[in-house]
Amino acid sequence: MRILIVEDEHKVAEMVSRGLRAERYAVDVAASGDTGWAMAYTYDYDMVILDLGLPGMDGAALLRRIRGRNPRIPILVLTARDATASKVDSFEAGADDYLTKPFVFAELVVRVKALLRRGPANQSSVVRIADLEFDRLTQHVSRAGKRIELTPKEYALLDYLATHPGRVLSRTMIVEHVWDQSFEGLTNIVDVYVRHLRAKIDDQFPKKLIRTVRGAGYRFTDEVDT
Amino acid sequence: MNTHSIRFRLAAWHAALFTAFIIVLGAVLYATVKEYLDDTLLETQGRRARQIAETLLANAPQTGEDYVVREIKALYSPEQSDRFIRVTRGDGSVLYVSGPPDDQSFDPSKVPLFTAGNAVESARSEKLVDGRILLIAAFKAATIKDGHFLVEVGTSAEPVDRFAQHLLKLLALGIPLIGIIAALGGYLLAGRALRTVEQIAVKAEVITQHNLSERLPVSRTGDELERLSISLNHMITRLDDAFNNSKRFVADASHELRTPLTVIQGELENLASDAKLPVEMRDRVGSALEDVERLGKIVGKLFALSRLDAGEAQEEWTQLDLASLVSATSDQMTLLAEDKKIKVSCDAAQPVYVMGDRSRLQQVVVNLLDNAVKYTPPGGSVHLKVHGSDGQGILEIADTGVGIPAEALPLVFERFFRVDRDRSAGADGAGLGLAIVKSICVAHGGRVEVVSAVGSGSRFLATFPLAAANAKQLRQ
Repeated sequence: MRILIVEDEHKVAEMVSRGLRAERYAVDVAASGDTGWAMAYTYDYDMVILDLGLPGMDGAALLRRIRGRNPRIPILVLTARDATASKVDSFEAGADDYLTKPFVFAELVVRVKALLRRGPANQSSVVRIADLEFDRLTQHVSRAGKRIELTPKEYALLDYLATHPGRVLSRTMIVEHVWDQSFEGLTNIVDVYVRHLRAKIDDQFPKKLIRTVRGAGYRFTDEVDT
Repeated sequence: MNTHSIRFRLAAWHAALFTAFIIVLGAVLYATVKEYLDDTLLETQGRRARQIAETLLANAPQTGEDYVVREIKALYSPEQSDRFIRVTRGDGSVLYVSGPPDDQSFDPSKVPLFTAGNAVESARSEKLVDGRILLIAAFKAATIKDGHFLVEVGTSAEPVDRFAQHLLKLLALGIPLIGIIAALGGYLLAGRALRTVEQIAVKAEVITQHNLSERLPVSRTGDELERLSISLNHMITRLDDAFNNSKRFVADASHELRTPLTVIQGELENLASDAKLPVEMRDRVGSALEDVERLGKIVGKLFALSRLDAGEAQEEWTQLDLASLVSATSDQMTLLAEDKKIKVSCDAAQPVYVMGDRSRLQQVVVNLLDNAVKYTPPGGSVHLKVHGSDGQGILEIADTGVGIPAEALPLVFERFFRVDRDRSAGADGAGLGLAIVKSICVAHGGRVEVVSAVGSGSRFLATFPLAAANAKQLRQ
C-alpha cells in the first residue's frame, strides 16, 4: 500500500511518515501543493493524506483536483482548522475523513486502516478475542462461556476497544467514538467506564484483556505484555 | 426630580437669572414712575401757586385782600377739586386757607405753617399728623413792603401712592409668574438641547462586545455634542480593534500551537510504545504525554472560545427539546457521579423547545454537570431541572457541593479563573469549562447565572429563549 502525504510542516510529515512506515506502508512526502499534485498525477497511490494549509496550490484546490482525477482514492484531510464549516467544505470537496491537529497518532493509523479497508466489508458479526466473545447483532457478551451483562455504554466501549485489538486508543479517541464531541473535555468518564467494564470482563479472569498505557490510553489485547 | 441633573440646573439658572433681571427692571420702573408722577403733580401745584401769586396777589394792595380770597374761591374752588390752598402773610398770619376737600383726603387746618426762607419757589412733601401725605408747592409773591405773601398749593399724594401700590402689586404677582414660566421654558429648552445626549446614551447602552461594529449617531451641530459623539465613536473603534486583535491573537495562537503540539505528541507516543525503552523511561514519557494531551485540550478549548466570540456558534441551528437533551446527557454521565457516590436526579419530563446547536447545548450540560460532580463531595447529590417559563427555557443544576465564595462569584465565568487552585488540582480542567458555557449561552441569545454560598452548594441557571412553537403552545 502506497500513501502520499502532502504536508508543508517538515516535522509533522516526518513523524507521520515514520509512523506509517512502521505500520509497513510505503510513504511519499510532498511539501507543497504543486509537488503534491505532480506526484499524485504521476504515481498511482492507494491513499492521500492532505494538509489544508499549503504553500503554492492550496489544500482545498489540490483536494478537488485529485478527486477530479480519481473518484475512488481515499483522501484524509489533516488540518489545524477545526471549525465544522471547514470540515463540511472538505467533505463536500471529496474528502473521506478529517483529522484535526493535534491528533493522536494511533487515531491516524486507525483511520488510515479504516479507509484502506473500506470497500468489501468483511466483518463477521461475531468477534472473538482470547476467550472473550461477543455478537454485534445480538450484543451478547460472554467470556469463557459465561454470559456477561453489559450496559449499552459498556458494550459500546468494549466494541470500540475490541475493533482495534493491540492498538493504543487514547481517552480522547474513546470519548469521541463512544460518546460524542461534547464530552471531549471529560476524559475521566472513560476511566470510570473502563473500570466498570474491567470489573465485568477482566477481574474474575487471570488473563487481563484491557491494558492501561500510561499517558497514552488503553489497549485491548490478548498478547502477553513485554 | 433629580436636582443634580444638568437639565434641572440649566433650568434653575435660567429662571434665577431671568427673575433677578425682572426684579431689577421692576424696581427701576417703580422708582422712575413714582418720581415722575410726584414731580408732575408738584409741577402742576407750583404753576398754580405762581399763577395765584402773580395774578392775584401782585395786585392785592390795590384790590384788597377780600377780593383775593373771593377770586381764589371762584377761580380754583379748592374744596371741589380736592386741593389745598393757603396764603400766608409776611408776618406769618394766614390770609386764606381752603376748607376740607370733598373727598376728605386731608384736613387743611392740620397742615403746619411753613417758612420758605429765601427761596422764591419750593416744593415739599408734608406728612400730616394722621399719616396722610400732601404734596405742596410754595411760591413767594413780592407785593408788600414789610414782607411777602406765601402761596401754598397742595394736593393729596394718595392717588399717586395708590397707583404706585398697584404697580407694586402687579410686579409682585407678575415676577413669580415670569419666574415659573422661565423655569418651565428653561426646562423644556434644556431638554431639547440634551435630547441628542439622550440619543447617544440610548445607542451606547446597546453596544456590547458583540456589536462593536455599530456606531453612535453624530449630531452635525459643530459643537461640543458633535465632538463628544465623535470621540465616543473613536473610542468604540479602538475598543473594536482591541477586541478583534485579541480574538485574532487567540485564534492565531491556538492555530500556530497545533502543529508543534502534533509533532511533540506524535514523537512521544512513538517513544511510549517503543518496547525497547526501559519501563521507567516509558513511564516518564507517558507522564509528559499526559501533559501534552492536556495542553492540546486547552488549545482546543481556546480555539473553540475564539470561534464562539467570532459568532460561529450557529453551525447547526435547529429546534430541539432541551429537556430530552438534558436527561439523555445526564444519563450518560450518571456513572461518573455514582463513582463518586453522588446521586444525580433529573426532572425534565415536559418538553422544552429551544433553537440551537445540539452539540453546543450538550456541551453546556456536560460542563455544568461535570463541574457540579467535581465540586460535590461523596455522598452529596446533584439535581437537574428543565422547565419553560416567560418565553425562556431554563436549565437548573443544583448541587450540595462546597459552594463558591461570594468574592469569586462574579469571576467564575471568566477564562482561566479557578476558585481555588488546590481544590481544582487533580481535575484536568484549565478553568475554561464555565467560560465556554457562558459563551455558548450568550451565542444562543441566553445567559448563565450562579447562586451559591460556601458550604451550601451551588445552583447554576442557564436560560435560552424558547423556540417560537413552544412560546405559542404556552400562550394557549
